[in-house]
Amino acid sequence: MDVTNAIDCNGLSAAPTLLRIKQALVGLVDHALPLEILVDEGCDQERLRRSLGRHGGAVRLISRPQ
Amino acid sequence: MPDLNVDEIPSGASVPVSADGVSPEVPDFAFDPTDPWTETFQKGLERAGLSGKRIYEVGIGTGINVAFLLRMCGAAHVSGSDLDPRLVVLAERNVRSLAPEEANLFHPVRGEVSLIDTEEAQARIAETDVIIACLPQVGDPGDRRLTAFRKAQSVELPEGAGEKADDHIAHYYPWAAFDEYPFNSVGLGLNEALLRRIRDQAPTAQVIMNFGCRIGTGIIFEMFEANGFRPEKLHSQIVRQDAGTDISFFVMLEKALRGTGLEKDLVCVFFADEDAASPLSASEAQDLLDRDPDTPLFHEVCVIRAVPVAA
Ligand SMILES: C[S@@+](CC[C@H](N)C(=O)[O-])C[C@H]1O[C@@H](n2cnc3c(N)ncnc32)[C@H](O)[C@@H]1O
Repeated sequence: MDVTNAIDCNGLSAAPTLLRIKQALVGLVDHALPLEILVDEGCDQERLRRSLGRHGGAVRLISRPQ
Repeated sequence: MPDLNVDEIPSGASVPVSADGVSPEVPDFAFDPTDPWTETFQKGLERAGLSGKRIYEVGIGTGINVAFLLRMCGAAHVSGSDLDPRLVVLAERNVRSLAPEEANLFHPVRGEVSLIDTEEAQARIAETDVIIACLPQVGDPGDRRLTAFRKAQSVELPEGAGEKADDHIAHYYPWAAFDEYPFNSVGLGLNEALLRRIRDQAPTAQVIMNFGCRIGTGIIFEMFEANGFRPEKLHSQIVRQDAGTDISFFVMLEKALRGTGLEKDLVCVFFADEDAASPLSASEAQDLLDRDPDTPLFHEVCVIRAVPVAA
C-alpha cells in the first residue's frame, strides 16, 4: 500500500490526531480524498472514528508497526 | 571577577545583571530577558548540574543564557545560534560585557540559522553534551493554513494580533512549514523538528527545553517520548500570560474538539490567579480577555530535561 502521502500521526493520542486530521482537511479539494492517516499503533482507532463524525468518509486510517 | 549571582538579581528577573552593574543590551528585535520565561529557564538550568558540560543554545536571543551558563553554571563552553542573524552579533557583545572573563568560551555560530540547519551548527552540535532551547510554541497568526483552520472553527483573530512586533519570531513560528511533524497539530512542530535533528546529529546529547504549558504538560511529555527521549521536569513556575501574545491558537484547538467526545482529552491550562488555584480553559481565558483585554491571566512555564532512551 502506498502511504507516502499519508498524514503522519505517529506518537499522537486520539485528540491531537483528530486535530491533525481536521487541520489537514481544511482547504483540501474533494479529488484528494480520502486522505490517508498514519495513526499511532496505540491510538484508540474506534474512539477516533466515532469522533470524526461527518469527516469519517474523508479519511482512511492506517496503522503500521514502526 | 565581578560576582554574578541570582540572589542579587532584582526580584522577578533572574537575568544576570552583574554586581558591577553591567546589564545586557536589549534592542526591540530581541526577546526581553527580564521576561519570567527566561527567569524560569535559568532556574531550571541551574538545577541541571551543567558544570564542565559543552552546551549549544538554539535560539540564543540576547545571549543572556550564554553568560549565565558560563558564569553561574561552570559550563566548559557554549555555542549558539539564532534564526535572526542580528541576535548572535548582539549575544557576542552581551557576553563580552556580562561575562568578560569567560567570553572566550563562547563559540557563536553566525548568520541566519534555523534550528541547527547549517554545516557549522551541525559540526558544533556533534561535539555537544547538552542542547538547550526555548522556541516558539504558537503558530504565526498570519499563517495561511492556520488562518483557514481558524476560520473553520469560527475563531476570530483578536484585534492587533496580526501585527508583527520587532521580536515576532521569538513568539511565533511559521506553522505550515513544520507540518510534517505530528505534534505540529498542537503547536509543537518547531520543537519536535529540533528533537528529530538532535536525535540524528547528536544521538547521545541531553536536551533541556523551556515550555509554556498552556497545551498541558502531558502532551509535551508525549512529544519527547514519541521522539525517543525520556523527559523529566527540572523546574516550573506560574507566570503571567504575555499581554501581546495571541491565545486564539489554543482557543481554536479546543473548539475543533468540541462535540467530538474528545474535548476532555485536551483542555488548555490557563489560570485566573498567580497561585494557580483557579484553572481556566483557553476558551474561558479568551472570554475574559474579550470582556477586558487587561484581565491578568497566568500559565505554567516549565523546564524539561530529556535524555535519549537509546543512549
Ligand atoms: C522565546 S525567545 C528565547 C530567547 C532566549 N533563548 C531566552 O531564553 O531568553 C526564542 C528565540 O528563538 C529564536 N528562534 C525562533 N525561531 C527559530 C528557529 N527556527 N531557529 C532558531 N532560532 C529561532 C528567536 O529569534 C528568539 O531569539
